[in-house]
Amino acid sequence: MGMMEENQRERMEDATVDQFPEGLRVLAVDDDCVCLKVLEALLRRCIYHPTMAMDAKTALKMLRTMKVKFDLVITDVRMPDMDGFKIRELIGLEMDMPVIMLSVDCYKKVVLNGINHGACDYLVKPVYTNDIKNIWQHVESRRRSQAISHMSRDNANDERVHPGSLAMSKDSKNKRNDEYDSNKNTESTHSSTTQKIQGWHGQLSFKTSF
Amino acid sequence: MDYSNLRRQITFMKKSFFDQGYLDEQFHQLEELQDESSPNFVEEVVVLFLKDSPRLLSNIEQTIGKYPQDFYRLDSLVHQLKGSGSSIGAVRMKNECSVFKAHCNDRNLEGCRRSLQKMKREHATLKQKLESYFQLLRQVGPREHAVNSRN
Repeated sequence: MGMMEENQRERMEDATVDQFPEGLRVLAVDDDCVCLKVLEALLRRCIYHPTMAMDAKTALKMLRTMKVKFDLVITDVRMPDMDGFKIRELIGLEMDMPVIMLSVDCYKKVVLNGINHGACDYLVKPVYTNDIKNIWQHVESRRRSQAISHMSRDNANDERVHPGSLAMSKDSKNKRNDEYDSNKNTESTHSSTTQKIQGWHGQLSFKTSF
Repeated sequence: MDYSNLRRQITFMKKSFFDQGYLDEQFHQLEELQDESSPNFVEEVVVLFLKDSPRLLSNIEQTIGKYPQDFYRLDSLVHQLKGSGSSIGAVRMKNECSVFKAHCNDRNLEGCRRSLQKMKREHATLKQKLESYFQLLRQVGPREHAVNSRN
């Protein structure tokens, strides 16, 4: 590959990276109007395009009608008509999209439940701007792994896969794992870390029946 | 109108909310989200909470009174209140919700009743304090809100 072509490709990739993740289309689902209002403000602050829904039925309808093609779904875990895990299952069956769980629960069992149900991340309320800022990585990571699997399916020639993209996808995965760890463990920048430590040590061991 | 005096009052009042443990860092986060495009964001969110939470408290009270006890539903309602309260930084209410949930887990009806009374008192105090705070802020004027929201 010539030097000129490589520089050109890097400039194009930079341009794409500069715009993305602005405009990320996020569907946010929460039955609590206060949580929803704050979440919407956080998403707008990150220059994402949020659409809000107060229940699972409305959210699924929006996803199924596909008037807007969403990049990512953030859903509260505990809602009256359907829990977040069920939503994640349905989304997994019907369409391929990253789903982030959201809850005021920080107990390890619940978080692991979320991950076992295929959530790509688990955020504890109240979420901070930095939590929301990082969600684009799940979309990017998925795009890259899809692109790589398409490439290897269509063309067995590995030279077409840019070595840089594999490294970046590994980095995003590590970042995601760090986020899991920071949510599962107590290394959080939240000032309510003490609350969470109490939760993790299982002093309050309520078994939620999902 | 002596704005500097008023602003000092506002600053002192807000500091007392944090010192006395009524509000936590999440309230600062709300202030950070306030800008020219939503200059009254903090007040809007707080008003929304103060308007919606009595409904939750009333549902909790009704559910406690039912027989046979439905601790799962009770826990769900308290869970929602906890999420709601934590979103505005109402740390005392959030903590009392955690205690309430523990009582639900233990199926301790008396504990639940005590927690509810405590939560109602906390809610009333928080409502009174925050309403006074925003009343003062309004006197200073909308421009001052957005500019001095971190004071």
